[in-house]
Amino acid sequence: MSECEVIDEEIKEKIQNIVVFMCNECGQGSANTAGVARMAYEPAIRIVRVQCTGQIGPIQIMDALNNGADAVACVGCCIGACHFFNGNLLSMHRIKLMKKLFKELGYSDQFVNQYTSRAAEGETAVGDFEDIVERLATAIKEEGTIKDGC
Amino acid sequence: MNIEFISDPQDWKEENMDVAVISGYILPDDLDSLQKIQNNSKRIFAYGDCTTTGGIFALANQRGHQVTPLKDLISNITNVNGCLGEIEELIAVINGEELQGNNPLCSVCKRKATCDYLDSVNRQIEIDDEETCFNDLGFLCNGFIAKKCKERCIDFNTPCRGCKPMVERSGIRMLGMFGTLMGNIEMATEHSEKGATDKLADADDDLTESLPDILGNFFRFTLLTSGLPRGRIQSSGNLLQDVFTGRLIEELPLITGLLGGNRSISLTLKLIETYEKANNIEVSTQTKKYRNELLSLEADLIEATNNKDAQKYKATTDKIRKIAGNMNLSNVYFGGFKQIIDDDVDFESYKSHIFEIVEGTYKNGSINYNIDPKGVIKEITIKEG
Repeated sequence: MSECEVIDEEIKEKIQNIVVFMCNECGQGSANTAGVARMAYEPAIRIVRVQCTGQIGPIQIMDALNNGADAVACVGCCIGACHFFNGNLLSMHRIKLMKKLFKELGYSDQFVNQYTSRAAEGETAVGDFEDIVERLATAIKEEGTIKDGC
Repeated sequence: MNIEFISDPQDWKEENMDVAVISGYILPDDLDSLQKIQNNSKRIFAYGDCTTTGGIFALANQRGHQVTPLKDLISNITNVNGCLGEIEELIAVINGEELQGNNPLCSVCKRKATCDYLDSVNRQIEIDDEETCFNDLGFLCNGFIAKKCKERCIDFNTPCRGCKPMVERSGIRMLGMFGTLMGNIEMATEHSEKGATDKLADADDDLTESLPDILGNFFRFTLLTSGLPRGRIQSSGNLLQDVFTGRLIEELPLITGLLGGNRSISLTLKLIETYEKANNIEVSTQTKKYRNELLSLEADLIEATNNKDAQKYKATTDKIRKIAGNMNLSNVYFGGFKQIIDDDVDFESYKSHIFEIVEGTYKNGSINYNIDPKGVIKEITIKEG
């Protein structure tokens, strides 16, 4: 986690809970692969397994944020590779609108994000986690946490 | 029965009341007056969205204002939702009746939904199609989450904005619903260096371009009860101007019509006429005639309010409803009207039409506004009302 070491200690303290909804197929699959390979990742990441990221929408995201999450992310299958039909695309559409909503309220749009991963490659999931933390740290540094305005 | 109208609760001489009905938007500074009312009344009713959920004025909280729902300040109140609130419902709850169950607005809408994915979002639609669901036309309508109501904007070719929500956190649910409907619209993705896979891009794309004002469209009445953080955008200092800033030009008549007060009709018409004049949108003589009628009805309404003449008030509102559709002025639009007012007059002669969004500054003495290329209000000053 060399990327995280450059983060100021103060900001690191503010990142305690990042809720990551991972789909049961590629998302959770790659996290399992990462686990088998004993790859380390940021302890603030809290994984919630869902059947498909298509189940995640604004309600679940706001529930997580209102109950103490510092940021929310979805990790689903690669584009075009949803194991159901197009759940990952639909949740990306909704999350994009959530990002816009946060911008309209004057917050950073990095409190919600969606990633993809490949089940056979654990490093895709760990890389996504690193990216989430890094983006959140930059956002907090520049615009403060989401709780500053709640 | 004695009904007293208190317009300035700070100077009110306290006396015991059986029932207090509170309307209008509330700021935290009003707490003292509200406690005074609570101490003196047996039952309290919050009437209309401004009081129950912050209503249209809560949009100013996007810019840091502190409009508050009544239930956050005092307890034991009964809410009567709606914008306008329905007087029949208020009378019913005061008489101790239960409000009728949840009847969705879609059940009384003559349009039929298929819920197919949209290829594009349309901010204005041709008013000739009266069978397809607004949402299927790509024209955002919050009817999915709304209760059946009296004002029924949908009957006047105006989409519902959800002033009487049927579910908790209706705006957020509707956002999820419409986001799903937008499934066919192009969305930007980018390569994530660390994950070595694709991720959702931060850049603007067709999705964000097609909904320039998510807050105003989905959370027009429920911003304060949807659990979103308080807005941090720089305020202009004026609450009314902050309500309008950031809204879309084609939504303006819908918002001014909802403001209530004595001047909402003239304010709405002034906004519309300013735009029409600057962009050479021609208005028929019939349209002008109806608009002048509305203005004289507004004068009658003010007179009836001042004289506390309930019968005249009701007669005047009936006449306004006939022309403007409802008290939210849903039938009034740029270029004319959206629905037939009088069967004897040819509708083509006063029909409204789709207009182009033209960037620029619009000035009319009392109301000046500035819109950007997307049709979003950047600055607005209102000198009266």
